Amino acid sequence: MIRLSGRFRSALIIGLQGIRARKMRTFLSMISLFLGVLAVVTVQAAAETARTLQLADIELHLGKDGTRTIYVPPIGQAMDVTRETLQGQQGAAASYTMQAIIGEPKVKPINPGASPLDHPEMYGGGYGPNARYEIRCDDTGNCRPVPVDESGAAPPGAAIEVMLVSMVNDVRQFRPYRPVSGTWLDFSSQPSYSPRIVINKAAAIGFNRYRIPAEMRIDGAIANPTPRIIGVIDDGNEQPMAYARADEIGNWLAPAEPAGAAVQQGGDGASPKEMYISSGPGLEVMFSPTAGETESLLIRKLVAAGVPREALNVNVVDARKNIEQELKILRWIFLGMAGLVLLIGVAGILNVGLATVGERVEEFALRRAVGTPRVLLAGIVLAETLLTGLLTAAAAIGVAAAALDVGIRMLGDRVPQLQDMGFPWQAGVAGVIAGLVAGLLGGSIPAMRAARIPIATVMRA
Amino acid sequence: MTPIIELAGITKTLKGQQQPRVILDGVDLTVGEGESVAILGRSGSGKSTLLSLIGLFDRPDSGTYFMGGRDLARISERRAASLRSAEFGFVFQRFFLLKHLTAAQNVAMALVNGQGWLPRRKRRARTLEALDQVGIAHLAKHRPARLSGGEQQRVAIARALVRGPRMLLADEPTGALDTETGNLVIEVMRAATDRGCGLILVTHDQAHAAKMQRVLRLEDGVLRQVELVPA
Repeated sequence: MIRLSGRFRSALIIGLQGIRARKMRTFLSMISLFLGVLAVVTVQAAAETARTLQLADIELHLGKDGTRTIYVPPIGQAMDVTRETLQGQQGAAASYTMQAIIGEPKVKPINPGASPLDHPEMYGGGYGPNARYEIRCDDTGNCRPVPVDESGAAPPGAAIEVMLVSMVNDVRQFRPYRPVSGTWLDFSSQPSYSPRIVINKAAAIGFNRYRIPAEMRIDGAIANPTPRIIGVIDDGNEQPMAYARADEIGNWLAPAEPAGAAVQQGGDGASPKEMYISSGPGLEVMFSPTAGETESLLIRKLVAAGVPREALNVNVVDARKNIEQELKILRWIFLGMAGLVLLIGVAGILNVGLATVGERVEEFALRRAVGTPRVLLAGIVLAETLLTGLLTAAAAIGVAAAALDVGIRMLGDRVPQLQDMGFPWQAGVAGVIAGLVAGLLGGSIPAMRAARIPIATVMRA
Repeated sequence: MTPIIELAGITKTLKGQQQPRVILDGVDLTVGEGESVAILGRSGSGKSTLLSLIGLFDRPDSGTYFMGGRDLARISERRAASLRSAEFGFVFQRFFLLKHLTAAQNVAMALVNGQGWLPRRKRRARTLEALDQVGIAHLAKHRPARLSGGEQQRVAIARALVRGPRMLLADEPTGALDTETGNLVIEVMRAATDRGCGLILVTHDQAHAAKMQRVLRLEDGVLRQVELVPA
């Protein structure tokens, strides 16, 4: 072991001396290798960046990886049971989405159907109480959008329609919405009769553009509350969204139907599907992987409340795996191309290495004369090419990191997901490996030549 | 006098493009501790070939070569490298100093050869000691380009002595030097024999050969003792 260590250190010392003695050649080798290593680093960094960006978007919509989601249908007391069970529980949250209109009463909103403010026709005028279309189902159960009779429609006015997400506990533990301004909802304080809402950037566009009175009309509400907008977030959604505490919204909603009524409704011949449709949107419940007890408690309570067990399916968010599978093929294709560029660099190292060994015949013969084993001579050449590869990798990684930093500075405002990104360590590792592999490949033939130099060269000189 | 090396019946035939040529045809040679031997001979007589066999650069076709009771005639290259490092010091006609290294680094080259490891402080001490033996410790930081021919050869001798070899092999060490400098170099090498090191000097210069304890001439592939007439 000591012997090996001595040889390793000897190779390193002599290799460094060789690099210092031939700076220009080392530099030329580095230039030919630089593009190859940079290509590998860039491909890896781009793949990691794409993965991070995709993951960030998916987290906003589906939730973080490992999040367990259950859809609770609005059967009887299921919604109330869920709210009561989850209230204040760690690692669990629920949300349900309704349409709401903030602004003047009895007017048609600027964006019917909660369409994006910049594209109010995106959803064809949207669906809902103030939209141009409504969903109508025939006797066979087929449902389709049908134009609303415009003759009795409300006149247009200063109101914005949003998708209102009411939350039991903070869903940001699962969906990391990015704060833009103001504050997020405080779930630890007492609920207020003036619901605090946080709107998304798409909704903020409307509130910046129009003077909107603070009155909110919610489907199924017994009166119109006065909301307080306390913050703006980026939720990755193009539709205007508003987020509120379920208990603050619940103060204004009509009491839920008794459990027996829904079951009775189902028992009167209506299929479970019809029952769910007729009862409106359900709750989306999210659990962290560590909240298994709360999850099973809720399922037991829901089953006891009359929800069929088979309707309570648990889905686990596994976005990372899916993304990696999608990116895998692309990454390998681009890495293959980068590998070809790297091969050109290897050829450069090989060329310079062979020329250098040719010039150093006497040095290597002399080293053998003073007892240097052949394997160490090969080690010296390899140490030089490996160090050259490492230096090149360091330069390429530095350039790639600087370029990424500049890119983030320039695009950070437009692509907020980039703001928290650093240089991916995987790209650094790939660069180092590429540098070492290139050094090894480019140095192996010169190393073998060096080891074969006849010792008698010094005698004949 | 305890023998360091004992060669008996050594033969070597060179197989070039032309007909094989017998260079050594039964060479017998014994060199003891502190003994200095000069080998004379005309060009192509096989002096350097003999030296390369003694220095384990090459192997004889036949014969025996004992060192410390072990026959080295069929030794492996790995073991030969180890012995070259530990037991032999080499001085060549051309100095073979690496121009990008200082005098001290050129000497230390023999210590950084993968045969064991010395910490930097010990390496430095032994390097300076070797340079001091040849009288140029003050030039340790000079690069070869700033040294005279004699100084460069003394750096090469320091490189040969730095591991404390038992045998110093010199192939025409004064060939590229003027007479005065050549004499100085011979004196430096002879001084090494005072510390028990054996010395084999291959030379054309009879004056330098005369300074050795024994003078041999290589003729027709065999070594013969000669008596030199003082000039």
